[in-house]
Amino acid sequence: MQKVWFTVLILVYLDFSVRVGTVPVCAYGPAGCKVPSLADLFERVIQQSSRMHGMSSDLHSEFEQSLSPNKNLIGKRRCHTYAIRTPDDKENAQRLGREQLTEVILKLLEAWNDPLSHLYWSLSQDQNQDFSYYSPSKALEITDMVQELRDGVEKMAQKMKLEGVTGNTVGSISPESLVPSFAVSFYKRGGLDSVDHHDLLYCFRRDSNKVKNYLHILKCTTLPGLVC
Amino acid sequence: MMRKAGEIILLLLLPFVMTHADGTHYRMPGKPTLTSCRSPEKETFTCWWEPGPDWGLRTTYALYYRKENSEMVYECPDYRTAGANSCYFNKNDTSIWVNYNITVVATNSAGSTFSDSVDIDVVYIVQPNPPERVTATILEDKGWPFLRVSWEPPHKADTRSGWITLFYQIRVKLEGESEWEMHYAGQQKTFNIYSLRSGGTYLVQVNCKPDHGFWSDWSSTSYVKVPEYYTRERSVWLLIALFSAFIFLILIWLIHMNIRSLKHCILPPVPGPKIKGFDRHLLKNGKCDEVFSTLVVSDFPPTMSSNYEDLLVEYLEVYIPEEHELMLEESKDLHDGFLKSEGSASDSDSGRGSCDSHTLLMDKCGEVKEKQTDQEGGRMGTEAHTQQADWDESHEDMVSPDMSSGRVKTWPSVFSPLPQYSPSPLHHPNTLETAWQQQQHYLSDTLLPADSLSSDLSQAGHNIKDTPSSNYWKFCLSNKRPHLLQTDARWHLQAHSDVNISNISHKEAPACTYLSSLRSTEYVEVQRVNEEDRVLLHPVSSERHDGKDCLQLCHGEDYSKVKGVDIDNVLLLHREVMEEEVDMCLCDNQETNGATESCYTTITPQKPTSCIQAQAMSGYVDTATMFAQPSH
Repeated sequence: MQKVWFTVLILVYLDFSVRVGTVPVCAYGPAGCKVPSLADLFERVIQQSSRMHGMSSDLHSEFEQSLSPNKNLIGKRRCHTYAIRTPDDKENAQRLGREQLTEVILKLLEAWNDPLSHLYWSLSQDQNQDFSYYSPSKALEITDMVQELRDGVEKMAQKMKLEGVTGNTVGSISPESLVPSFAVSFYKRGGLDSVDHHDLLYCFRRDSNKVKNYLHILKCTTLPGLVC
Repeated sequence: MMRKAGEIILLLLLPFVMTHADGTHYRMPGKPTLTSCRSPEKETFTCWWEPGPDWGLRTTYALYYRKENSEMVYECPDYRTAGANSCYFNKNDTSIWVNYNITVVATNSAGSTFSDSVDIDVVYIVQPNPPERVTATILEDKGWPFLRVSWEPPHKADTRSGWITLFYQIRVKLEGESEWEMHYAGQQKTFNIYSLRSGGTYLVQVNCKPDHGFWSDWSSTSYVKVPEYYTRERSVWLLIALFSAFIFLILIWLIHMNIRSLKHCILPPVPGPKIKGFDRHLLKNGKCDEVFSTLVVSDFPPTMSSNYEDLLVEYLEVYIPEEHELMLEESKDLHDGFLKSEGSASDSDSGRGSCDSHTLLMDKCGEVKEKQTDQEGGRMGTEAHTQQADWDESHEDMVSPDMSSGRVKTWPSVFSPLPQYSPSPLHHPNTLETAWQQQQHYLSDTLLPADSLSSDLSQAGHNIKDTPSSNYWKFCLSNKRPHLLQTDARWHLQAHSDVNISNISHKEAPACTYLSSLRSTEYVEVQRVNEEDRVLLHPVSSERHDGKDCLQLCHGEDYSKVKGVDIDNVLLLHREVMEEEVDMCLCDNQETNGATESCYTTITPQKPTSCIQAQAMSGYVDTATMFAQPSH
């Protein structure tokens, strides 16, 4: 018994002593490793958003084909992100400014995290198989993409702040402030039927387009030397 | 009463009037359809519809739209800007990322007809205008031209602010071609095209597309002409052509230089007839007589009247029996052979030289026959000539016993009467035949005109060809038989060196010429041996044969029999024997036979009284020495 305790103590001690400290990479500035420039960040982000939009379009078209041509539902659709005020034309978008635009982007991306996970869970659970076999995996991929994009946009915002492009008005956006559980409750709890899937994907496709467009605007207004 | 009539008339006319008032059948307007809605810059958009049949009625169309999540219905703000049956939404009325529900209503007096609703999102109906200011220019890159195309986005599309992202496409073709060459240019506004055709005119067009939308129409065509230039390929081909032409010229020149040898190689000349004295031209001319005249040899066939049998005198058969018995046998055989030969018309000799001979010569016969060839005969003939020539040279030395080296006087071994023919008989003393020939030569030459002899000999040599056993000369000592008969092949002593040929004359010699019937020039006959132990030779001529002489000769010392050859290569001769000896020639005379017999008989007890010592010099026996030293 004593031996057992002794062994446990040793293990605990080792656990504490051998704990690996985590240090973020490139924490100590340019001497440590190379930080990508703003232009590079923009390029990467835009590419990511473009890819995300492409995948959403593919998913949506898959669902649209399987769905019965009941177009009347479209008019009554309401995306859960309708509360987020997004500029709906060029003037409004330009009027908004970089910081707010960035904020809007981040809000949008954040708003879609949970619904997409829910979608994936719902698709994987669905027994009907009225969509392609790869849809669940695609949904999962999109979910990851949204996450990565959001991280990238955040970094880009920080970079912009660092370079003085944007002011300090952009604060850390708490994802819970906007649509805490609204998104999930917006849609049916529990299993989503195919109609819900279709609406969800339709909304997501639109929002990814918005994100992509806003990022383009950001890039071309922030760095005019680039190809715009 | 009047009122009622009027009312009735009105009632009757009412439907009629009513129908006329409507014109045609009362019908609702046809259902219109929305064909398309397009936005050129994602800021405004236009919708077009297709009206349905209006039945001739005045129909009005109205477009109503409803925005997403709103129950408000709005009507099209602008029906004119975009043309007929269109609705133009300006910037204020256009919202992006908003779902529009659009419906067209056709209204006529009969009613209204609603079209099918269409939901559109402006983002996805963007179709920009074509790119503007497309320029195509020819530039040079290290000497090689290329085409640079540059353009600008449509002025309406705001790509500067990043509101729209456009992607471009170029198509190029040569003037006159039907297929366009497509190039995708991405987001760049310039593009280079290489590998142009020299001197060609190119047509260039550009169009664009937003990231999500439709391709625009093609821009206006730009024409560009490529200046003339020589491609590397062309210059290379030029060089190759020049080089090959040069090589070709060289080849032609070489062929020209060597045309003859080439002709000879490729087309070897066909050998024509080469007949000595044959003139083809004469033949062509058709004069056959002249042509063939040259071919005719005057002396062929031999015009000399000679019996065929005369020509058969070729054999020089030397036979030296070692013992008396053999001699006797031979004599008998000779006799038999003689008898035989008499009866036969063919060449009948003692047979010793032929295969029929049962003597020792038979062993050699096979060899002889094998060796007998025309060549030998010919050679013998030539030999005769050569030997004669040699002899002629040494004519003066004739008397001297020492002839030129190589002159064989006697031969050591008669039992090899068939000498192996050697190419140089003069220097090969072992050749019995050659010895004989030489003897023949010498004797004949002196006794007879040289030229005739030589010719005879040559002919004899030629004739020898015909006979099977032509290796040796046969002395025919019979004049009876016209053909060559060899009676006694035992001994033929040719001691030409010591022979006083000058003394020998035809007249001196008995008329018996065994060889007379033959071409006497071919034969030399030993007349006798004089006191000085000299063998007197007697040329045998055809005219001088005398049958009677045969006997005499038979009795005469025609032959000196060689008894044998002792160990020292000394030729032992029987002098006395010769006197009594009957010539072994083929005398078909009984008396001669008897004489022969008697001769033979006398011979036997005789002992060699004269021994001629022959000094064998490399196989040849020098008879001169023998005579010089008479043994007895």
